Amino acid sequence: MSESLAVGRAQTRPAGRPGDTAGDTVGVAALDARRKLQLGLGVIWVLDGILQFQPSMFTKSFPDMLAESAHGNPGVVAGPITWSASLIDHHVVVLNAIFATIQLALGLGIAWRPTVRLALAASIAWSLAVWWLGEGLGGILAGTASPVNGAPGPVLLYAILAVLLWPADRDPGAPSVAGRATGRRPAQAVWLVVWGSLAAFALLPASRAPGAISDMLTDGADGAPAWLAWIDTHAASALNHHGLAASIVLAVLLAVVAVAVYLPAPALRAAIVLAVVLAAALWLAQGMGELFTGMATDPESGPLLALLALAFWPAGARKEA
Amino acid sequence: MGGPAWLTAIFAAASLAVAVYCAGRLVVARRGHRPTELDTDGAHVIMGVAMAGMLVSGLRTLPSTIWEVVFAAAAVWFGYRMLQARRGAQSSPWRSSHPLPHLVECAAMVFMFLILPAAAGAATSSVSMTMTATESRFSFLTLPLAVYLFGYVVWLGDRVTLHAPALALATAPASAGPRPGYGSGSSGPEPAHPYLAPRCAAICKITMGITMGYMLILML
Repeated sequence: MSESLAVGRAQTRPAGRPGDTAGDTVGVAALDARRKLQLGLGVIWVLDGILQFQPSMFTKSFPDMLAESAHGNPGVVAGPITWSASLIDHHVVVLNAIFATIQLALGLGIAWRPTVRLALAASIAWSLAVWWLGEGLGGILAGTASPVNGAPGPVLLYAILAVLLWPADRDPGAPSVAGRATGRRPAQAVWLVVWGSLAAFALLPASRAPGAISDMLTDGADGAPAWLAWIDTHAASALNHHGLAASIVLAVLLAVVAVAVYLPAPALRAAIVLAVVLAAALWLAQGMGELFTGMATDPESGPLLALLALAFWPAGARKEA
Repeated sequence: MGGPAWLTAIFAAASLAVAVYCAGRLVVARRGHRPTELDTDGAHVIMGVAMAGMLVSGLRTLPSTIWEVVFAAAAVWFGYRMLQARRGAQSSPWRSSHPLPHLVECAAMVFMFLILPAAAGAATSSVSMTMTATESRFSFLTLPLAVYLFGYVVWLGDRVTLHAPALALATAPASAGPRPGYGSGSSGPEPAHPYLAPRCAAICKITMGITMGYMLILML
């Protein structure tokens, strides 16, 4: 398979017709749906890298934040987290600069076609390491996992996306981008597990307790600009005494999205639209990943869930096939 | 700047390097009659100098007001170019074929100079670009600007892979027509010389996009 086919059937078209405008795609390698999604993932990695360069990341606040993710986890999980946080604490400037550079390189590596496989493979390894050592496995074992606070850990979604967007065509006739690399059934299983687990997390005590979602929304408002804080505080106020109902509604919607992957294309498209809307709502609830606090290391799960949903859109793969 | 001094110095050095390189491109292009995007390279010369001054106050050259006027004028130019492109006007290999990103860059520069007047005028060793609570009301603009620039950087990264001739075609307008060894199939004027170092031009744009994105993220 040629590089261009592997990356996304890129083609360099010859010069265009007279009268083509400057903004047209004259002589430009065409981007198929998978390549566009790969570039979307690359943008998020670049954003992560630059976020990691924020001033606060070079201070003790960064290792302290990492160490907090150990709380509530079993010893076998918490031990390495505490050890790595301590190591980072002693060499925070050097290690943080390295971490930021790695993430920036992952983004640029995904963008640069010759290194897309290497970058995606490295991003899987990096994501899994950060999921454990930086996010405490998303709080799954600590009992704090909730879709509203980013469970199962945003960084795990990077790894899942890297697998689904891998530049290979195991099933070229798959109805969506996600199915091309892994095959339809494995891709469907991934979708079911991701959205099904989110539905399950929504029913855990961390979400269904009377003030749980409301408290998470209030946390999302901390440090947020006024317009975002207004949204989160009003939502928190509205859900203040309806935590159980809110978590049930959220779980049902997430479960509908989860099973829709086995439905016909029109129903799946509707479910994907719902998934994107839910991802946007969760992102707002997460204070847009607390990007405005100076302490964000990634944009949280919302944008990644939306990207994941788009990877399952049925029409794209059909069109390019 | 709020970040470590060595980090802001690296970003300042990168933006200055781009400015110097783009100035060199303008000279080489004129002497060798090699097509390059004069407006983009010119914008990067002034942008690199201005950004270095924002990052390291010791590198400040002009007052903020002058920079605001300069970048507003540049934004008007790229906006005009974009309108021309949309109307299908005959384009030139000597002008930007994708003016929108440069319009956004110039607008972002005006935005940063407008929103940080006190910081830009500070006489400290490093300019603080961290937003105050009052200034954070503009965060709804800052984040999209940064994300747009990162999107542009990644898109350019994808383009860099193309072989130089194809990249030149990707960065030069259609009406430039075929170049020697650059494919064929269209009519139009035929430049005597190939496009000047298209990969280096793309890398300059990537560097500027990352540096400006970093500055915007610091303002969140």
